[in-house]
Amino acid sequence: MSKPNSILEDARIEVGLTHSELWFRYFALGGMSTALEVEAYLYDALTPTDHDRDLVATALNERFSELGGDHPVAYTDDDDFDKRNL
Amino acid sequence: MAEYRAVDEDRVDRRIAFGLTTRYTSRQVVVALRGEIDMLTTPTFASVLDSLFETGRRDIVVDVAELEFMDGSGLRVIGPMSARLHDSGGALTIRSPSPMVRRLLDLTEMGDLIERDSPDPVSSTLGGEQQAGDASTPVIDGSVETDTQDTVRLPAFPVGNDVIDAALRLVTALARATIGGADGVSVTLTRHGRFTTVAASDETIAQMDRDQYATGEGPCLSAAAEGHWFHAESLADESRWPQFVPRALEDGIASVLSTPLMVSARPVGALNIYSNTDHAFGPRDQELAALFASEASSILAEARTDMTIEEVAGLLREALTTRQVIAHAEGVLMGRQGISADAASANLRQTAKRTGVDVRESAAAVLVSVLRDNLIGQV
Repeated sequence: MSKPNSILEDARIEVGLTHSELWFRYFALGGMSTALEVEAYLYDALTPTDHDRDLVATALNERFSELGGDHPVAYTDDDDFDKRNL
Repeated sequence: MAEYRAVDEDRVDRRIAFGLTTRYTSRQVVVALRGEIDMLTTPTFASVLDSLFETGRRDIVVDVAELEFMDGSGLRVIGPMSARLHDSGGALTIRSPSPMVRRLLDLTEMGDLIERDSPDPVSSTLGGEQQAGDASTPVIDGSVETDTQDTVRLPAFPVGNDVIDAALRLVTALARATIGGADGVSVTLTRHGRFTTVAASDETIAQMDRDQYATGEGPCLSAAAEGHWFHAESLADESRWPQFVPRALEDGIASVLSTPLMVSARPVGALNIYSNTDHAFGPRDQELAALFASEASSILAEARTDMTIEEVAGLLREALTTRQVIAHAEGVLMGRQGISADAASANLRQTAKRTGVDVRESAAAVLVSVLRDNLIGQV
């Protein structure tokens, strides 16, 4: 693919979660999208609502925390959130 | 009982993990608890009891022999359920309480619930104990863990149909417990070129599926064949499936929602949700059905993997418990602050980020604050 990965997909690869594992975490947080839809968010094939996007970001950030990191994936209501960087 | 230990001891971490197992005898259902019943685990316990009640179980024994700890939230589930069972001619009995649990029950005037005679372990093992339903169609009763007996019988590798079926039964049970208006849930799969029901929440539901296979039509078969969902909002007004619909109406089914199970973009079966009420399934229920169908699909798709049923069950149980804790906390925040669900979700997330905890812990803290306020209110 010539298209660069989304920030979310890059983060997923960085923390080493499979798509299924990420979906499970997203589901546990209250997410209502299917596994396929979440995968589509990561590939920019579907645009999530802000709420869904933040749940995916939370799932990724919690994994970063488990690995000793910070919350590198910005939330839509963060001051430094850049709409272009979905 | 041997099959009581659902989890291989080697897999248990140092803490005693919360666990819940249901066992059926001809007369009773025994819900065995282990670990701790607290804010985090009570929702699971409560939903299992609710499901058992809704599926007509009236004689429920809660075996607490392996329970390490129970707080007030557990008592607030046991008390009302005991009253509901009593009002409908049944009973809730507590079996083998530790001195701590016994004292807790005595203090809250629930000591009468404690079983008078300890069960004879030999007779309870040999005394005609059986899983409800017949062998070809395992029947689950809406509890989240009826699969655990399969766990110990099955080797971890390789993953065969038995393990997949057990995982699907778990998904069925979770769907049954979670989707509002669902009176019964089943999973149909195409195996060896014919349709088979691998899980059904009760005999009527298994019969509904068989009626569709027999007549060669119905929402479940349409979903499994065409790969998109079929929603019969009101069977009384339904013109599709003229052979099947009268049989369903006769059995008191009024609406059906069938969602296909897809593997590699090919339909392989359907998740079927039945209700005794027409127009029972709203948009949110349809979303949840899609979600559970998606989960069942991924279990089928990943059947070749090394995931054991304990792991699948563990993941689902964990995910569902977390969801409930977060949903309750969001409800509290919505009520307290008069904000929307999404805003409550953002609130929990921002608090978690600020305080360096995860969202579940942040949600649990909200619930603890409610408990504390209630206790202060009582003093």
